[in-house]
Amino acid sequence: MRLSGDPVPLLLPPDAPRSEIFRVRRELGLDRTLPVQYGVFLVNALRGDFGRSIHFREPAFAVVRGYLGATAELGLTAFLLAAFVAVPVGLLSAVKRNSAIDHIAMGVALVGQSAPTFFLGILFILLLSLKADLFPTGGRGDWTHLALPALTLGAFAMASIARLTRSAVLEVLRADYIRTARAKGVAEWRVVVKHTLKNAALPIVTITGLQLGTLLGGAVVTETVFAWPGIGRLAIQSIYNRDYPIVQCAVFLSAIVFIVINFVIDLLYGVLDPRARP
Amino acid sequence: MVQVTRRELLTGAAALGAATALPGALTPASAQTTQKRDLVVAQGGDISKFDPHFSTSSNDIRVSFNLFDNLVARRPDGKLHAALATEWKLHGQTEWTFKIRPGVKWHNGDPFTAADAAFSLARTWDPKVGTRVSTVFTTIDRIETPDPATLVIHTKKPDPLLPARLAFYGGQIVPQKYVEKVGNDEFNAKPVGTGPVRFVSWTKDDKLVLEATPDYWGGRIDVDRIVFRSIPETAPRVASLLKGEVDVITQLAPDQEERVIGNASTKVEGALYAGLYVLAVNSKRPPLDNPLVKQALSLAIDRQAIVKELWRGRGIGPNGPIAKGDNHFDAKLAPLAYHPGEARERLRKGAYRGEEVVIETTVGYTANDKPMAEAIQGMWRDVGINAKVEVLEYSVRAQKNRDKSFKGLWWSDPTSTLGDPDGMMWRLLSPGGPQDYWRHPRFDELGEAARFSVDEKFRAEAYREMTKIFLEHLPWIPVIQPYEDYGLQKYVEWTPNPNQQFEVRRFNLRLRRA
Repeated sequence: MRLSGDPVPLLLPPDAPRSEIFRVRRELGLDRTLPVQYGVFLVNALRGDFGRSIHFREPAFAVVRGYLGATAELGLTAFLLAAFVAVPVGLLSAVKRNSAIDHIAMGVALVGQSAPTFFLGILFILLLSLKADLFPTGGRGDWTHLALPALTLGAFAMASIARLTRSAVLEVLRADYIRTARAKGVAEWRVVVKHTLKNAALPIVTITGLQLGTLLGGAVVTETVFAWPGIGRLAIQSIYNRDYPIVQCAVFLSAIVFIVINFVIDLLYGVLDPRARP
Repeated sequence: MVQVTRRELLTGAAALGAATALPGALTPASAQTTQKRDLVVAQGGDISKFDPHFSTSSNDIRVSFNLFDNLVARRPDGKLHAALATEWKLHGQTEWTFKIRPGVKWHNGDPFTAADAAFSLARTWDPKVGTRVSTVFTTIDRIETPDPATLVIHTKKPDPLLPARLAFYGGQIVPQKYVEKVGNDEFNAKPVGTGPVRFVSWTKDDKLVLEATPDYWGGRIDVDRIVFRSIPETAPRVASLLKGEVDVITQLAPDQEERVIGNASTKVEGALYAGLYVLAVNSKRPPLDNPLVKQALSLAIDRQAIVKELWRGRGIGPNGPIAKGDNHFDAKLAPLAYHPGEARERLRKGAYRGEEVVIETTVGYTANDKPMAEAIQGMWRDVGINAKVEVLEYSVRAQKNRDKSFKGLWWSDPTSTLGDPDGMMWRLLSPGGPQDYWRHPRFDELGEAARFSVDEKFRAEAYREMTKIFLEHLPWIPVIQPYEDYGLQKYVEWTPNPNQQFEVRRFNLRLRRA
């Protein structure tokens, strides 16, 4: 990204003379060599200092922090929506395999997984906001403002979790111990909930956790369509503005969230599957 | 000056084209009046900072021209009016005196004096402050404040446009005492101005809240609060207007206007853009160093078709390098002609051998840039020009602009910052200027002389001759002077300003109430 462009022409009026451009470059430290700039960044980042935003003229971390709340709100809502809808649907589809329910659920999931977020978002605005007048078109506010972006953002995660749940459950249903349980006369609901779901949990937890990481990492398109003041939108605008400190800080924080979530999933493996314990 | 903001995802609007065919989705017939005390304005991007001397982007100045006042104001009629200065006079050739408006208070209660004005202007070029408008007042030699109600500005040479310079960006007056007390960062975070609204709160990319200054010198505005929201995508921005969530939207794309007009409660207001959309030319690169080839390029463009098809009639064909509405615009000059036969003839005379002519276009930097580039490519091919369109990312364009490394032609939307050719063609095309790709001794001589002459008759003559030279050599190929359109609720009575200043004052805003 550093090699992709210079923020200075974006900051100054188009008729700024060269001397002015060089002065601002010096002021921002952009006249130094890349290794030096990187070294300065590393040392400062270790101290929690991500530099000053070129665009906002404020400390980068303070700017990014201002966007975290909105992203967490949207990401968690979308995640809960996705998980609480997708796991039961996937389970039901697997148990009632090849039934009408299965076909409809998986058909919808296919659309949810393949429709571009941009298209879904605009479609929701047109149908649910403009036509049906149920929700506002965008912006942050009460829960009604959250509904459409969370649905849009959650659609992909919902679809992939549902599809994976279904196949994981189907796999387990074919296992010998399920046949044994049924042969012993265990009630069918017990077979599904206790024997099947528990054994199918590993892949479901993995994909769900990864989806959470993605959702919390900021949703550029959803946040842009719904004018949601989140970190994804900040990041993409900062890339356009060549506002390096903000991009670095945002990427850094997203990476940390992702690492933490992956770590928690790994720990969960041990809880869910005794074989995975050391 | 519009750079940062034009990066709209207009493609999004296009993608929605099919879906927008749902007119009259809601038609609240009662929406011609309102009880609202707030005015909600949605723009395409959020502001970046409050300090008016640190930004010239149009999203920022829509706000800063309302938080702050200038000594002189350019109003929607395009003329200069008294603002923080009640009158001004030129003595001799280089000495201007400004009478300071008495009784004006800063938002924090401090009195406004000539010292604030002197401080503000000097601040723009102070290297210790490092503003982004340090080149606006280079004609000023020194400033004196003989008493708190008088400001005297001496210019280095005669500067006929000093009042116009004071009316645009860089000219916003900031409070000396407050800025010196809290420092530049704190001032940027908690701005204090003299404008009709004062700062309340800002959540980035979400909501900026301003409230009416109760004792504003120009009269309290007709609403209690102004809320700025940023809605980056065109389609949702229009949807929020149709639904009545916002009262005004900026940057209304021509292809969305039917939706706004077709809706019972909303309307479109526009002002002819104070500037032009041109294809700037790198006249150093063959075959564009040949005036005959450039004339052919211009003659081959069917501007009426572009206005009609791509702009739905929201624009006019230019007649030269001076925008309609500016000083010295020659109304008698015919619009640039479309004459494909003559274009072929000039190509033949110019010995054009089929060299490649490249338009480097952005997508959404100006409205319709890529569609216009493609249309023009087709028109040029029709007369035998080997035209090619290449797409640039916005910041690459900024870089090429700086390095002066464009391959052929590129979109530029020169804004007339001063309401005068000096602030437009001369600002950009002068020697050493940002679009210095072509030189002509007589053109340069006249441009320089007109800049420093206070004799308007001489200036008129100079710009007439410069226009003639321009039309022969075409360092720009002017394409359109579009309207800058806004979508409004019908109960909002507001007159837009031609130069993207979003001015909210008592004289130009009223909400029709039940």
